[in-house]
Amino acid sequence: MQIMILFGMLASTYLMVIARRMPALIRGFRYQSAFLFLLTAMLAFREGHKDLYIVAGLILILKVLMIPHLLIMVAKRINLDENLGLFINSQLSLIIALVLTYCSWLLSVKLDFSYVHSLPAAITVAFSVVFIGAYLMISRVTAFTQVVGLLVMENGIFLLASSISDGMPFFVEIAIFFDVFVSVVIMGLFVYRINNLFTHIDVSKLSRLRG
Amino acid sequence: MYITIILAIPALLSLGSIGVRSRKTFGIVNACGYLAVLASSVMLFKETISSGCIKACNGFICIDGLGAFFIFVISVVAFAAALYSIGYINKDVSAGVISERKARMYYLLFNLFCLSMIVVPSLNSLGMLWVAIEMTTLISAFLVGFYNTKKSVEAAWKYIIICSVGIIFALLGTILFYYALSISGAAKSLNWSDMISAAGRMDRNILKVAFIFIIVGYGTKAGLAPMHTWLPDAYSQAVSPSALLSGVLLKISIYAILRFGIIVVKCVGFQYFGNLMILLGVISLVISCGFILVQKDLKRLLAYSSIEHIGIIAIGFGLGTTLGMAGALFHIFNHAVAKSSIFLGSSNVVRNYDKHNMNDIRGVIEVMPFTGIMILLGVFALTGFPPFSIFVSEIMIVIAAFLKGSYFVAGILLITLSIIFGSFIYYFGKMLFDKGPKDMQKYGEPVSGKLALLFLSVPLCASGVLLPIFKKDLIWILQGLFQR
Repeated sequence: MQIMILFGMLASTYLMVIARRMPALIRGFRYQSAFLFLLTAMLAFREGHKDLYIVAGLILILKVLMIPHLLIMVAKRINLDENLGLFINSQLSLIIALVLTYCSWLLSVKLDFSYVHSLPAAITVAFSVVFIGAYLMISRVTAFTQVVGLLVMENGIFLLASSISDGMPFFVEIAIFFDVFVSVVIMGLFVYRINNLFTHIDVSKLSRLRG
Repeated sequence: MYITIILAIPALLSLGSIGVRSRKTFGIVNACGYLAVLASSVMLFKETISSGCIKACNGFICIDGLGAFFIFVISVVAFAAALYSIGYINKDVSAGVISERKARMYYLLFNLFCLSMIVVPSLNSLGMLWVAIEMTTLISAFLVGFYNTKKSVEAAWKYIIICSVGIIFALLGTILFYYALSISGAAKSLNWSDMISAAGRMDRNILKVAFIFIIVGYGTKAGLAPMHTWLPDAYSQAVSPSALLSGVLLKISIYAILRFGIIVVKCVGFQYFGNLMILLGVISLVISCGFILVQKDLKRLLAYSSIEHIGIIAIGFGLGTTLGMAGALFHIFNHAVAKSSIFLGSSNVVRNYDKHNMNDIRGVIEVMPFTGIMILLGVFALTGFPPFSIFVSEIMIVIAAFLKGSYFVAGILLITLSIIFGSFIYYFGKMLFDKGPKDMQKYGEPVSGKLALLFLSVPLCASGVLLPIFKKDLIWILQGLFQR
């Protein structure tokens, strides 16, 4: 069961790599967060920690419901045309994503993760979600997709944290959650400002500051 | 006791800035508040010397010598910036550049920014450290985009995105540290004090990989090349009194790297940490030197100079001898003071001439005698001219490199420093001494700005000469660091 959810998370990440339109990208992120929620909930059930239930609940509320909703709202507000500004076409992107997954497998084999309680595949999936998130940020040039890429990276970090250490200390996790939420709000604000001032959100055309 | 005062004042001031009626009196109250913070940070430092490590809030807050030193550096620059803000913001409001409401917003952001920076060195938990550093990014992004022009929003966007990505890698590294601690058999914890006591038993391979993530992540925020690309943009656009951005924000991340570095040193040995730091330091020096040579924009020039000095600090810590590390610590203080002083001075110039391009700015001493002289002082100090304090710390690091036998590093340091010295004297000589434009009016500099520059010039001139007096304290901090 757990392995199915992990593969689901990986698959939704690939879905985002090949997404051509904004709603598809946000949907991919929503699926990914939902899988993350399922994993955390299972972990909470197995370990019986009260803290983990709260974290799972926060993932459901913030990452599955609120943040995607916020993103869609901003996208509508600024009349985003649906082009995502692909630098690299989907096929090539998919191949790069596969290579990144292979690299994260190598990394997780090289480091000694034999003490981990959960499946070894979880480490590989976590690293690849982080790296693919970074790739999303580099390969897409609209301000909006960069925010999504950052959120994907954060999902990967959460998976890693919950699988190698049964979650971080509770207080820290709450603080990080709060931080993620605040940063999304602030970035949404800046996307809005960029759009107001420039009437587009193509980051590759932000080139007034040079040298 | 003192730490409560230090944390409470910025918190209260940020609350006060929301409900304040009179902007002018609030500016003065603000500056007085930071004077109190500065005084208590000195007392805090004395307290750490006498009692070792100060703990509060159930071990949540834990300040040792290194933390107290960083808090002191922050509060020196914060006081100067608060003083400078009074005149600057008043002028902006009366010129109609910003509204009354926006001025209040500025004071709110300023205080929150100071608070988030002071919190960083006082935390024990490495997870909370990450949260606090991310907070500094988010708050200062608003200071960068303060004027809401195309350029400033672009700079704020680059700043927030690049730093957020960097800092996510730092979080990855933090989690790996946590994992390494939890498999070493010790109790699960993110507290630095627990990690350092279990450092000998941690897994070496995991720590090595984790430290690479840490140094890439926090190095981005510290402005170490090649992750420095956000820095010149953010500097050139930030609202000017936030000299804090140029003076101390970068050092906060250096602090974080040091904290993790100490654990790595204790587990893996010094070689690994030292080599990484020296590598990044040398790259930063060479890249910034190249960009300084071809620079046209005044504030970007200062930004690249910050990258250069962060490189010097990294090299100092990477050398690992007591002399080198004492030099690096001393350099952190000196650079914070010198950079803020020249940054504030240049803000006066940029505002009066309304230009960033150095080719268009001429005759500063003629037009604004006080600022001109202060900038001249700042330039000599910043480029390491004796007897100013930066000369002392730079020569300490160079001598340490020679004594250790790293002639290559010492050579790079000497060559780049002399090139940068030459170009700074060339640029500023032209700006300061050439004939000024004829239609330029004499510019009345506000008293608070003058006071801020005078305040900064005292440690600038004196701390190099007075080094023998507090030499013991520097060495005491270092002994506390690496010999636990």
